[in-house]
Amino acid sequence: MTLTGPALPLFFVVPLVAAALAVLVPGRALHRALLIGVPLASAAGGAALVARHSSEPVLSARLGGFVDGIAIPFVSDTLSAAMLVVTGVSTAIVLTFALRAREDELRFFPAMALLLVAGVNGALLTGDLFNLFVFVEVMLLPSYALIAMTGTWRRLAVGRLFLVVNLVTSSVFLIGLALTYAAAGTVNLAALAGRASEDPNVALGVGVVLLALVIKAGAVPVHGWLPRAYPATSASVMALFAGLHSKVALVAIIRITSVAFGASSTVTWVALVLVVLSMVVGAWSSLGENTIRRVLSFQMVSGVGHILVGVVVATAAAQAAGLVYMVHHILTMGVLLLAAGAIEKTYGTGHLVRLADLLRREKALAWIAGLALLSILGLPPSSGFWGKVALVVASAREGGWLAAVLIVAILLASVLSMWAMQRLWHDVFWGPKMTVYRPRERGKMLESADKPVPLPDSVRIPGADLVPAGTLLGLSLVFFLTPGWWWPIASRAAAGLLDVAPYVEAVLGR
Amino acid sequence: MILALTIGVLVAGGVYLLLQRSLVRLAIGVGVLSHAVNLFLLTAGGPAYRGEALTNRMDPATVADPLPQAFVLTAIVITLAVTIFLLALAVIGRNDDTWRIPETGEEHDR
Repeated sequence: MTLTGPALPLFFVVPLVAAALAVLVPGRALHRALLIGVPLASAAGGAALVARHSSEPVLSARLGGFVDGIAIPFVSDTLSAAMLVVTGVSTAIVLTFALRAREDELRFFPAMALLLVAGVNGALLTGDLFNLFVFVEVMLLPSYALIAMTGTWRRLAVGRLFLVVNLVTSSVFLIGLALTYAAAGTVNLAALAGRASEDPNVALGVGVVLLALVIKAGAVPVHGWLPRAYPATSASVMALFAGLHSKVALVAIIRITSVAFGASSTVTWVALVLVVLSMVVGAWSSLGENTIRRVLSFQMVSGVGHILVGVVVATAAAQAAGLVYMVHHILTMGVLLLAAGAIEKTYGTGHLVRLADLLRREKALAWIAGLALLSILGLPPSSGFWGKVALVVASAREGGWLAAVLIVAILLASVLSMWAMQRLWHDVFWGPKMTVYRPRERGKMLESADKPVPLPDSVRIPGADLVPAGTLLGLSLVFFLTPGWWWPIASRAAAGLLDVAPYVEAVLGR
Repeated sequence: MILALTIGVLVAGGVYLLLQRSLVRLAIGVGVLSHAVNLFLLTAGGPAYRGEALTNRMDPATVADPLPQAFVLTAIVITLAVTIFLLALAVIGRNDDTWRIPETGEEHDR
């Protein structure tokens, strides 16, 4: 199958049509097929695009029949194609867990999840800042519903928080767009190439857009909403958000800084502060939390810092390292969140103090969670090792005090994370025998005040609940074994970020 | 100047309302703030040009820039949808400030 430029809008249209189908046509089997099939199809299309980009670095489509620069551009290069693959595969696996948790039986859940996929694909492929805003909104609207649909009793209050934060951030995004348009006369990213480093007015506008994206990505000091909002939903929805929302914002930040600013010392300074704060504060804060998923939500904040290292050190190696870390983070966070979901589904709680002794009861879960915890810290034998090694090596190559600050921050964050992860492991997997648990009523999705009952020795997490987490961990292990295969792809994506000429040429035709 | 002052007043009012506890006031605040943003977007197109964007009928020198108007139209639709959802949330979890527990039969679990 060869994909050409005009086929790119299909990545947005197909999930959108599938979402409409899921609303109009009842039938659980169809919904399940759509939920798993559409993300996988999008990943397969992404893989075809990655293969295509080895010969033709950028593909673009212009919609609407307007002249170049005004038409609606869809652009795909190695970065966006690889992200399509990773988000598609992780979404499909996370949704299999949602099926296990019977969340697809909630009314409109399949449609909302598919709409989310449509928004994510559109945001990854768009080449225009205003369309990025629209696709991010398409991604967020179903999220407002998903966050209020499942999870703990806190989800409604937290849904309001999530909605208001994102609504205000969208207003900031629009203000940035208006400033950019007033200064540059366009919001087409390719037409903005290099403009922000020449014209301070354009830099202001693009800077405000970047501020909005940084809030949506959840970097310190504007991260406060993320660790409050995400853990209140169910584990599968949180895993879905973890793999999609902040990652889309991060891809947009990386793309916009590299295209609009190029190598700019201002960006280096601002990004350095954000990166160091996010890494260290995220890792440190995860020590103080009391449920598995809240600990992980602060680890997500810490991960944002690691991924943005490529923006600080604008070299090919550092950009590639940041992208590799992003893929690793999507996989590993998925494993840990789905493992937490499996624990909550059987034992009815994710509180560290209420769980104990799972090492004896749940051998398979202990293996999965243990390897994923090592991966988060950057220890072999899984994807985290290459992620951290690549980041440290790329920073060290840069040399000077910048490298020193980055490496110290990465190591400090690793030690703090190790402390937090050790505490998680100690509380959940070791300790005295668990005596009570809170079995969830059959078919009940919401975490409620299930009364604690004595825990029979026979209670185990069903094997099928661990399959999604196990599959993601398997991908993470494969990632560890095959650096020779994916490193050229990451390098190609990074090269596309540093040399934006092919990107501009493909979009504007000059 | 009048546009700039209007935007300033709307932003100030919107931010003030956003900082209120009641969710309905907050929804109104979001509406006011989005009006400010929409006016801001229109300003980006150069408010001195007021002509309809019909190139075969109007003098191109007086025609307004249609792109910011398209932006505003899109932004209005999105804000409308989100505000409706916000109001729905306000109805579902009424008295969220005093009753910490939503009225869905769940209990406070800590």
